[in-house]
Amino acid sequence: MTSSKLFEEPGLKQITVWARGVYENKEARDVVVAVTEAAALEGKFVQAWENYVDLPDRIFVPVRAYGKISDQPIESKYVYENETPDIVALTEETLVKGVPILGGIRPGAVLVVNTKRSPQEISKFLIGDTNKLKAVVTVDASGIKQGVITLSGAEGATDASGIGGGFSGPLAGAVVKATGIVSLESLLQIVKDKAAARAGYDQARVADAKSLGLAG
Amino acid sequence: MGVKKRISGCVAVANGVKLADVDVICSYPIRPYTGIMSELARMVADGELDAEFIHGEGEHAQLSVVYGASACGARAFTGSSGVGVTYAMEVYSPISGERLPLQMAIADRTLDPPGDFGSEHTDALCTRDQGWLQGWSSTPQEALDMTLMWYRIGEDPRVLLPQYSCQDGYFVSHILGEVEIPDAAQVKEFLPPYKNHHVLDVRRPQIIGAQIEPAMGPPLQYQRYQAVEGARQVIKQAHAEFAGIFGRSYDPFVEEYMTDDAEAAIFIQGAHAETAKTVARRLRNLGEKVGVVRLRVFRPYPTQEVRLALSKFKAVGVVDNSANFGIAGSSGVMLTEARTALYNLGDKVKTVGFVGGLGGEMITHDEFYRMFAKLKEIAKNGKTDRDGYWLPFEL
Amino acid sequence: MSFKEVPFAGTVPSPKRENEGMVTGNWRTKRPVLDKDKCTDCLICWISCPDACIDQSTTGLAFNLKYCKGCGICAEVCPSNAITNVPELDYAD
Ligand code: SF4
Ligand code: SF4
Repeated sequence: MTSSKLFEEPGLKQITVWARGVYENKEARDVVVAVTEAAALEGKFVQAWENYVDLPDRIFVPVRAYGKISDQPIESKYVYENETPDIVALTEETLVKGVPILGGIRPGAVLVVNTKRSPQEISKFLIGDTNKLKAVVTVDASGIKQGVITLSGAEGATDASGIGGGFSGPLAGAVVKATGIVSLESLLQIVKDKAAARAGYDQARVADAKSLGLAG
Repeated sequence: MGVKKRISGCVAVANGVKLADVDVICSYPIRPYTGIMSELARMVADGELDAEFIHGEGEHAQLSVVYGASACGARAFTGSSGVGVTYAMEVYSPISGERLPLQMAIADRTLDPPGDFGSEHTDALCTRDQGWLQGWSSTPQEALDMTLMWYRIGEDPRVLLPQYSCQDGYFVSHILGEVEIPDAAQVKEFLPPYKNHHVLDVRRPQIIGAQIEPAMGPPLQYQRYQAVEGARQVIKQAHAEFAGIFGRSYDPFVEEYMTDDAEAAIFIQGAHAETAKTVARRLRNLGEKVGVVRLRVFRPYPTQEVRLALSKFKAVGVVDNSANFGIAGSSGVMLTEARTALYNLGDKVKTVGFVGGLGGEMITHDEFYRMFAKLKEIAKNGKTDRDGYWLPFEL
Repeated sequence: MSFKEVPFAGTVPSPKRENEGMVTGNWRTKRPVLDKDKCTDCLICWISCPDACIDQSTTGLAFNLKYCKGCGICAEVCPSNAITNVPELDYAD
């Protein structure tokens, strides 16, 4: 018996959202919930959850929320960290520094950053497997809609404030534009502020990794 | 018909508690079970659930509050994790001794030190001999269903015992899974209102929890023993009725997965069983004769069912997700109990223990793969080299 | 993690100026920057820093950016307005 390649799930896509503790836990969670719920509308098998080991009750600590989307039933459902993300999104620009955001990314991965800065500016800070990136995307999601700060929905409970009412909507819109992981229409069915999500989709600046000098 | 939603194990349990229409809830925060109480607090605040929500000053107080509430005739609910579970230890035996069928949810957490917060069955397993019913669910759906099922079984006049409804912390408690939340009317049919015959009532004065003479000890213990033993029958009945009403059926005690013609099997409880199933399925594709048996009820231990399920294999790997230092067999309590269940069969089935997933680490696909490889070797050679292995250090 | 790599009984040596197990510099979104001309060396910032990461050196105060989590308390408490919080991405390092 040999275990190599035995546990691969070819149809599975992983999305990891990095955020700053307390202030942005909700927004990060909303991005993965919005995208996975939209995928579920399209008949996909999905999972969404937050990293448990990060310290989400410390202000500004880097925290992660995850989503899995597949056209097959998800077999690795208790593999509790996304080890090989296809999509990485950041709720805040400084996460590009000193945080291993590109750790384990698969070839063709897309990075989406909530920032006023351009993909060119952001790409200067990237370290790690930058040659695996297909595109770097920036969107001023916080400029379109302010974040919602709440503890509702923490620790696996229901978020009574609703999904996608803050900057997660436009950030998810940018993710959808850059990756096509779900259709914009499906996303808009899920998020609370549809206009903001659409604006994120429209305003996202998508830069090919090659044009940024990143692709290997 | 119920509604389908993607929710965490915490929210699933809260929905079960709401559907059970409990009267008194007592909370105290500790990860990972906290989400259950935040959700219930929200439900009470939003008027979705009419219950007395009391915040205790600690877990000992939590259990004392629901003890009193249940004695007053209320359907009561509480919960905890890790050291919170052990802090309340003193109150468990009186509750079952007084035959008060309240429920406690446990989302597992390792015990300190060091101050880890990952999942481990050690916390709940410490309470296994307190005269409560106890079982583990492996998905949020099962966590909700078990909440309803345990109330129904525990409140049955033939049983009258409290219940621990356990789930793995994080894996089940925090990762969203698809759950069908049953219809309230169906739940009413399955779970009638709580009616105990020995409640505190000024119209019918009685003392609950009085000091007794030592000579009353043995008969009272025997009564409790009979109640726990007798619960087996009620568990079976309740599962059958549950399936009839909700259309979802569980094997009451052990769930078998790909065990037909299997030569080697993993015997396990809780969330990691789901990972074990994936590995078994993949190995089946390669032609390996392997399966998984998942224990659902730990107390009362289903001795007959376990014996029946495991007797058909050549080799069984018993997975313990708990730390049992210095135990017979050097593995864990899952192994010792499984071996006791198999004892009368002689040496027919080779058993070996695997301790894994401690401190909240997941038991990886590769670890289950290595366990199955070891079992294959044992089945082939017809002998075991040792009682147990601690993963990942020894296998 | 190998069981041999973990210190006996999970103990942590003390006193310790830096804890490699909890490097908090990447929590920072804004960086404290000192204007030495305004600073009066009153050390209110030094004693207020929750991470004890303001060092006193012969050339004046220095922020230990490996641990400074950018909470902004030092800038807030400084009576001379000698500390400014600057967006982290304005710096390449
Ligand atoms: S920003 Fe906070 S952590 Fe950094 S030096 Fe100032 S007080 Fe200390
Ligand atoms: S509080 Fe301000 S003035 Fe005082 S030492 Fe710090 S920087 Fe200098």
